[in-house]
Amino acid sequence: MSNQDITLKVEDLHKSYGSNKVLKGVSFEIRKGEIKIICGPSGTGKSTLLRCLNLLTPPDRGHVWLEGEEITDAGTDIHKVRQKIGFVFQEFNLFKHLTALRNVSIGLEVVKGIKKDEAREIALEQLRKVGLEEHAHKYPGELSGGQKQRVAIARALAMNPVIMFYDEPTSALDPQLIGEVLDVMKKLAKEKITSLVVTHEIGFARSVGDEIMFMTDGRIIERGPPDEVILNPKHEVTRNFFRNITRLYERSEQ
Amino acid sequence: MNFWDVFLLKILEEEFWGVFLPKILGGWVVTVKVLLISIPLSTILAITLAVARIYGNKPVSLLAASFVGLFRGFPCVVTLLMIFFALPEIGVYLSPYWSAVLAFVIVSGSYQSEYVRGAIQSIEIGQSFAAQSLGMTKLQEIIHIILPQALRRALPGVSNEIIYLVKYSSLASFIGVGEIFAVSRLYNSLYFRPIDIFLAAAVIYMFMCTIASFIFKVIENKSRYPE
Repeated sequence: MSNQDITLKVEDLHKSYGSNKVLKGVSFEIRKGEIKIICGPSGTGKSTLLRCLNLLTPPDRGHVWLEGEEITDAGTDIHKVRQKIGFVFQEFNLFKHLTALRNVSIGLEVVKGIKKDEAREIALEQLRKVGLEEHAHKYPGELSGGQKQRVAIARALAMNPVIMFYDEPTSALDPQLIGEVLDVMKKLAKEKITSLVVTHEIGFARSVGDEIMFMTDGRIIERGPPDEVILNPKHEVTRNFFRNITRLYERSEQ
Repeated sequence: MNFWDVFLLKILEEEFWGVFLPKILGGWVVTVKVLLISIPLSTILAITLAVARIYGNKPVSLLAASFVGLFRGFPCVVTLLMIFFALPEIGVYLSPYWSAVLAFVIVSGSYQSEYVRGAIQSIEIGQSFAAQSLGMTKLQEIIHIILPQALRRALPGVSNEIIYLVKYSSLASFIGVGEIFAVSRLYNSLYFRPIDIFLAAAVIYMFMCTIASFIFKVIENKSRYPE
C-alpha cells in the first residue's frame, strides 16, 4: 500500500454537517513533487476536503495516508500531522499581534522548539524567498493583501512541510495583487514542492498543475491534465464551469 | 483607640494636617496593601475563569460559569461578610485583611472575566485555524495566539473594573480592616469633622484612580499594534 513516492493518498472520504453531505466519497493520490489543482463551484466541498485532510475537521468516513502513515487512525498525533502540512488560507489568517517575522518564526519556536535566534534566521530566509525580507518588522495591519498572503506562505513553508495546501489563496485579493502571490506559488512549484491547490486561476493551473480534479457536489467528477480538462471537458458541468471562468478570465486580462 | 491617642487628638483638635491626615494616610497604606495583592490576583483569576468557560469541558465550563454568575449576583459586601463570618463556621479562619483580599479577588475576578471572555470570543476563528495548522496544541494556541490578542481587547473593560475595585475596597472597613475609609469613619465619629476628613479620603481615592488609569493608558499604548 505505502509507496514511497506517494505523499498523500485519500480513499473514499466522507463528511456531513448534519443532514448536509459535503463530501461523498473522494479518492485521489499525490506523488512527491506533484502539483494537483482542485477546481469546482463554491459550496462543493473543496475547503472542507482540505480541512479534513489536515484534520482541522474530522472526516466521518474514509482513509488518508500521509507519507504512507494512516492519519485517519484513531491513535494519530494530529499535532504532528499538521506540522507536516503547510496550510495557506483564503483569508491569510496571519497572527495580527505579531510582526511578519514573528508570524513565520513562532511555529518554529513554539511547536518545533527551535531556539529564538535560529528560528529568526530561518524565518528571514523564508521571507527572502517570498520577497518580503524588508517588510519583516511590519505587522499584518501594515501589509497589503498580497504581502500578507506571501507571509502566510512563508509561515507555512518555514515548518518544512511534506506538502502544501492552498485554499483559494488569491480569492480574497484585489485583482492587481493576485499576480505577486501566483508568482511566488509558481516559483515554489518549480522547486517541486508537493502541493494541493484549490483555485480558480486557470492560468496558474495550466502553467504548473500536473493534474486538475474537478469537484462538484462532494465528488471529483473529472480529472486529467489541466489543458485537457479545461479545454476539452467531458462533463456538461465542467464545460459550463470552465466556459464561465475563461470568459471572466479573458475579461480581466484585457 | 487607646486613651493616649484620644488625648493627643483632644489637645490638637484643630490640627487636621498634624493628626487626621497622618491617620488617614496610615489607612491609605493598608488600602494599598489590599489592592496591590487583589488587583493582580483578580486579573489572573479572571483569565483563568474565562479560559475555563470557553475551552474547558462541560463540567469545568459549567463550574466557571456558575462561579461568575454567583459572585456577580451577590452584593460585594455580602460576599465579604460571608467570607469573614461564615468561613470560620467550617473551620477556615482568615484575618480581616486576607478575608478582604479573598473577597475582592473573587468579586472583581468574576466581573473582569466577562470582559476577558468577550474578548476571547471576539478573536476571529481564522487565528485558531492558523495556529492549529502549524501544529500548535490548544494550550500553545491559547497562550501564544489567542490571549495576547484578547487581553489587549479586554484591557479597557478590565481596567474599568479595577478602578471600581479601588473604590469598593472601602467595604473592607465592614470587617475591621483599618483602611482609609475605616480610619475616616472612626475619626469622624470621634470628632465629627465630616468635611475635611471625608474630603481628604475622597481625594486620595481619586488620586489612586487617576494613577491606575494612567498606568492602564500606558499599558494600552505599549501593547498596541497596527490593525
